[in-house]
Amino acid sequence: MSYLQIEQLTKSYAKQTILQNINLNLNQGEFLALLGPSGSGKSTILKLLAGIEAPDAGEIRLAGHLLNPVAAHQREIVLLFQQPYLFPFLSVAENIGFGLKARKVAKKLIAQKVAELLDLIELSGMEQRKPQQLSGGQQQRIALARALAVQPKVLLLDEPLSSLDPEIRGSLQGVIARLHRELQMTTIIVTHDLSEALALAERTALLINGSLVADLPSIELFERPPNRAAAQFVGVGAIIAGHMHGTTFDSKLGQFNGNFGPNTFHVAIRPEHIQINNSALQPSIAAQIIERRYLGERWEYRLQAAEQLIVVREAGQAPRDIGQTVDLHFPPQQLFALAD
Amino acid sequence: MSYRSIVWVLALILLVPIAVFLIYAFAQGWFFPALWPERWDRALFLRQLADPQLRRAFGQSLVIATGVSGLALMLGYPAARVLELQAFRGRGLIYGLFFLPTVVPSVATGIGLNIVFLRLGLAGTLFGVMLVHLIPVLPYVVLTLGSSLARYDRNYELQAAVLGASPWFVFWRVSVPMLLPSLVVAGVLAFLISWSQYVLSLLIGGGQIITLPMLLFSAASGGNQSLIASLSLIFIAPLLLLLGLVARYLGSPATGATPRP
Repeated sequence: MSYLQIEQLTKSYAKQTILQNINLNLNQGEFLALLGPSGSGKSTILKLLAGIEAPDAGEIRLAGHLLNPVAAHQREIVLLFQQPYLFPFLSVAENIGFGLKARKVAKKLIAQKVAELLDLIELSGMEQRKPQQLSGGQQQRIALARALAVQPKVLLLDEPLSSLDPEIRGSLQGVIARLHRELQMTTIIVTHDLSEALALAERTALLINGSLVADLPSIELFERPPNRAAAQFVGVGAIIAGHMHGTTFDSKLGQFNGNFGPNTFHVAIRPEHIQINNSALQPSIAAQIIERRYLGERWEYRLQAAEQLIVVREAGQAPRDIGQTVDLHFPPQQLFALAD
Repeated sequence: MSYRSIVWVLALILLVPIAVFLIYAFAQGWFFPALWPERWDRALFLRQLADPQLRRAFGQSLVIATGVSGLALMLGYPAARVLELQAFRGRGLIYGLFFLPTVVPSVATGIGLNIVFLRLGLAGTLFGVMLVHLIPVLPYVVLTLGSSLARYDRNYELQAAVLGASPWFVFWRVSVPMLLPSLVVAGVLAFLISWSQYVLSLLIGGGQIITLPMLLFSAASGGNQSLIASLSLIFIAPLLLLLGLVARYLGSPATGATPRP
């Protein structure tokens, strides 16, 4: 049985459905990313889990116990918001010790725990500072330490890095990954950034318009998105419409052989798997380059073939010219079927 | 005119009456053509301070104003919270109702309530006077707290709750410190308004409860300027002391942020 179970979770605000029948299970110590565009309802899931909002329907269980009737302060699930929300009238040490003080832990033990945590987040010696004297990244680290101080059963992170500079974001990602490795705390991070999900979480659940469209190992979601919605979100080279004819997939771009099911109506391929002007490979598709941009390490081209938009990413190389017609080749083993 | 000179002019307008009170309270034998009093004397002022009737009135005023501040905060805080932090139908109307007492003359409410309070056995009691003081006091308390709650980020409280703080702990350890400046300002306003109530105290106190403004009023109609001045000084002294104590909160607008230490 899973450690954290979410069953048929549903929530709406003012007649607008935010979440619809969400099912999610987490094992103890697992790190899950909840990925989705803004407004997809991912933060709402965290609020329902933390107990600061109530679901319209559905159940949340932790280690088998139903959490729905348990008040937020008794759930032992800590939510870290996008803003650090450090209490401005308390010192750094008092902030980190806040949850312990609420639990009436002895002063001496709190001081000891605070010192330990400051060491863990590499901010030792900051005990007596006020939050206003810290940088944004430091504040977020203190907020993380404050959450860890109470040893929550589940740690929820609501885009805690999105308001920080890219450089600090990267280093804090490292801090979060390290803390998870060391503490093995069951963690859910909400993010709209695919690279953040890939960098941190072994598993990613993709939420679009209040519904879960994928729940897979992060790398698999990236390399082989299971359906059209997921493929559109993570970005693929082409989503090709067609139908099965025996064992081949018939489309405007031609016929493709692959290991597709009988009811396949869309296939896709990653942009870095499409090859340009490789005469050794057949069949090939003629396409015209309409746009290009440099991503660093790779060039990205947008091409058109039979009214189909195709994105290709090619490593190294001098750029190809816009307007040029090239031959594209789709290696059959890289094509995968998309569910609708 | 520069900001600084405006401040000086305002300070002068506020300080001159106090200076006049001081002169009148301690001047002796000051008659028409003389520009300055013949001599200074503390005797009258000290006699006033020792007067048992005045001491009693002072004490009762103090108890009433302190009690009214406490009651007003206890009632005004939840009211302001609901009005500012929850969206509901008729919110504007209810907000408006809270301000009605500021437009209705207190004689009208006082006479009406006098009958009700007599029936309830509240007329002539300290508690009755405190209750009736809440009528002019609450609008200002709700307005002061409401304006800072409008800019208050409730997520601080939610953050505290998920960290394991009970609602009571959240209230005392998060909400109160976050809103301290406006709670102090609201409490001081409540004290000031209650302290200077005359009509309502008279109507509900029914002669049983004597407050400082009543003594001041009767002295004022008596026309003894030295007496009026010393009573006035005694009347404003606690207010000046109170304002001095909370001055650091008055300077910062009620944003919900705590002043830096």
